[in-house]
Amino acid sequence: MNRTKRIGRLLVLVAMLLASPIYAASLQITVTNAEGQQVENAVVYATPRDPATKARMQQSTNTMIDQVDKEFIDHVTPVMVGTAVSFPNNDKIRHHVYSFSPAKTFEILLYKDKLPNPVVFDKPGVVVLGCNIHDWMSAYVFVADTPFFAVTRKSGAVVLKGLPAGAYDVEVWHPGLRVGSEKTRQTLTVTADEQRAVTFQIDPRHIWSVRRAPTPMGGGY
Amino acid sequence: MERAPRTNTDGRGLLITWSFQFRRFKWRVLAFVVGLLMMVQAGVFLAVDRANVEAARRQINESLEVTANQFQRNLAERNLQLLQAARLLSSDYAFKQAYATRDHGTIVSALENHATRAGAQVMLLLDLDQWVLADTLHSETSGRRFGIPALIDSAEADPHGEATDVGILDDKTYQLVVVPLFTPAPSAWIVIGFRITDTFANSLKKSTRSEVSLVRLERETQWHVFASTLSATHREALVSMLLPEMVFGQSHELVLDDERFVSLATPILPERHRDLAAVLQRPLEKVLAPYQRLRVILLVIALAGLAISLGGGLAVANSVTRPVEKLADGARRIGEGDYAYRVVVDQRDEFGELAGAFNNMVQGLEERDRVRDLLGKVVSHEVADELLRRKIELGGEEREVTVLFSDVRDFTRLCETHSPSEILNYLNTYLTKVSGQIEKHGGIVDKYIGDAVMALFGAPLQHADDPARAVAAAVAMCKTMRLHNIELKQSGLPPMRIGVGINTARVVAGNVGSASRLNYTVVGDGVNVASRLEGLTKTYGVDIIVSESTRALATGFLFRELDRVCVKGKSQPVALFEPLGPAGAIDSETLARVERFEQAIRHFRARAWPQAEEVLLGLLAEAPEEQLYALYLEQTRRFQQEPPPAAWVGSAYPGS
Repeated sequence: MNRTKRIGRLLVLVAMLLASPIYAASLQITVTNAEGQQVENAVVYATPRDPATKARMQQSTNTMIDQVDKEFIDHVTPVMVGTAVSFPNNDKIRHHVYSFSPAKTFEILLYKDKLPNPVVFDKPGVVVLGCNIHDWMSAYVFVADTPFFAVTRKSGAVVLKGLPAGAYDVEVWHPGLRVGSEKTRQTLTVTADEQRAVTFQIDPRHIWSVRRAPTPMGGGY
Repeated sequence: MERAPRTNTDGRGLLITWSFQFRRFKWRVLAFVVGLLMMVQAGVFLAVDRANVEAARRQINESLEVTANQFQRNLAERNLQLLQAARLLSSDYAFKQAYATRDHGTIVSALENHATRAGAQVMLLLDLDQWVLADTLHSETSGRRFGIPALIDSAEADPHGEATDVGILDDKTYQLVVVPLFTPAPSAWIVIGFRITDTFANSLKKSTRSEVSLVRLERETQWHVFASTLSATHREALVSMLLPEMVFGQSHELVLDDERFVSLATPILPERHRDLAAVLQRPLEKVLAPYQRLRVILLVIALAGLAISLGGGLAVANSVTRPVEKLADGARRIGEGDYAYRVVVDQRDEFGELAGAFNNMVQGLEERDRVRDLLGKVVSHEVADELLRRKIELGGEEREVTVLFSDVRDFTRLCETHSPSEILNYLNTYLTKVSGQIEKHGGIVDKYIGDAVMALFGAPLQHADDPARAVAAAVAMCKTMRLHNIELKQSGLPPMRIGVGINTARVVAGNVGSASRLNYTVVGDGVNVASRLEGLTKTYGVDIIVSESTRALATGFLFRELDRVCVKGKSQPVALFEPLGPAGAIDSETLARVERFEQAIRHFRARAWPQAEEVLLGLLAEAPEEQLYALYLEQTRRFQQEPPPAAWVGSAYPGS
């Protein structure tokens, strides 16, 4: 994990801490599959039902998606609407980042050392990132319309903190759930200082991957 | 071979049976040689033929397996082509951009463009729920479900979302490949396909020279050919023979329209073996063609061998049978007595030797025959035979023989009055006649001694009645001479009187002489006695005198006792008898006279001279020509004057 990223994380955390009220609820969310195994790269987010709360919480931050060894880091990155994401290139070769997703269509033509201008994700939705040079490089930016979100890692459990008391739509999204497919949603109301555990069971599909080059593709005769 | 009726004339009557048999050695040899050769060649032919057909089948099987491998490789290659083409499109940035526009026309034309690049006949774009977004076969329409869901299902199970299959689109069969379209997340399915046509089958046939038919099972019962190198009629014949349950990896012989094909089925896709198959075939006749040529060559060689062996066998057989026939012919000729015949065989082998030996044998026979002829002239035939049959050696055996001596009376006087040639002719005529009678009665002429004949009865050939035969011969000889005398008288020649003496005694018979010159004869006292008896005939005035021993053995004849005389070398006096003829053929007058003479002899021997004189006078009055009576009368009168000494044996012989 490089330095830039660690600093970025720290900034996000500080911003969230500053924004949270003194008394707030927290949700510990576990995402499992049908077999009970914890699911990685699932985005969980809680959207307040009260638009006022949502408006009060509105804030935009900056983050980044790194490119290391011809892979996007991280594979799934949840951001709040209006977040500017920068795409530094830590490889010695050029990349061509693009997205055809309706939530954010863009492309950053071939670049290497010069950090391009950050891309602002101003619409909620899923944005699939690719690299025109390397077919297998792909990443997801989940643009949430709420500041309360997290992405599961290997442990599969995340904590959403600082939720003001009120009603929330708690939802989970995963790349294996198709874009635009029905979301798994739970509506719940939390009180101040409440700590609640929420469990989602989802059935993500296998995502067919593109072979990474150089590949042992058949037919080399 | 001769098919000859065989007549069988045993006691059951005439039976005719037909049977195959080789009456001639030649045909037997030929049949054996040719039969053996045919057997060997037939064996070779069958073995080679069988090995050939087996080799042809094995060759076909191998080539069909090669074809099956080739077929699988071709399919895999095409599959790879399709896969690569699809992957290229799937990763094509421009296409992703085009796809992002969601513009149907653009997408269809992009697909058409790519299909042309890849040489594919069909391309489709499906959304992840298998709805057709774009289809090059139906560029105008969209919004229907994809017809081969199994293809997408298997792609979804693949880690890279790729799958391959054979499917039917618009009644045409395609080899299809599907890959996801990544934008960059999988967002659609790209389907690409090659149509499987007869061209594909023909290209395979070009490289493997096997017939290729691709079949699919329809409605789970009937196979249908969708690509083939076969003609339409052969296709129909093929599908009519295929069972719903296809058997793979094992070759079968199928007859399509009178043409034999060795056939092997191989699955097109391992997971579709139930309803898709490739039937690979090779015509058996075409592969067998070189073997057929070999078969013809073998047949020609066999026939040539047969002809050569036939000719060779015939030549060998002839080389055997021809000299054998010549020898058989020669043997026949020699059997007929033609000893001058010689067999001519121009061969230097065993038959040549045999012919030489045969000729030598004939020469030997000829010489022996000549000797026999010559011998027959010198000695009698019987003696000649005895000599030829037995080993000629000195010495002999003691046996009972009746010896006959015959002599012409007063021959010396005749010689004085006639020329030598007249005498010889006269003598030869007599000897021929006398000898004829002797041989006729089973005797042999032992030798001629001047005008005398010595004959033997009982040696070398023996008969049970040799003494009787000798007597009969003597009687016949005298009779012959009486007839001959009539002829002599007519030609003005003096008559001939013979005297015959016969004696039976044990004598020694055998070859007498030196080693270089032998004579079969008998020697002994008995021979001398016979000679003496012959000499006495003149004294007693009779033709024949036989001894007591002969009289005793010659039954069937009536004899008259003549006298008893002392013979030189004999202690006992010998009784002399004259044969009168066969018993029963003598008239009573003669018999009575014989009886009276015997009475006279009894008186004479009893020294009753007057009584003897009286009887003799009576007899002489009746038969004055009987010299015997006159002799006895003369002696009776003499003994009346001077009586005989005490040792007198009763002989009337003058001087005794």
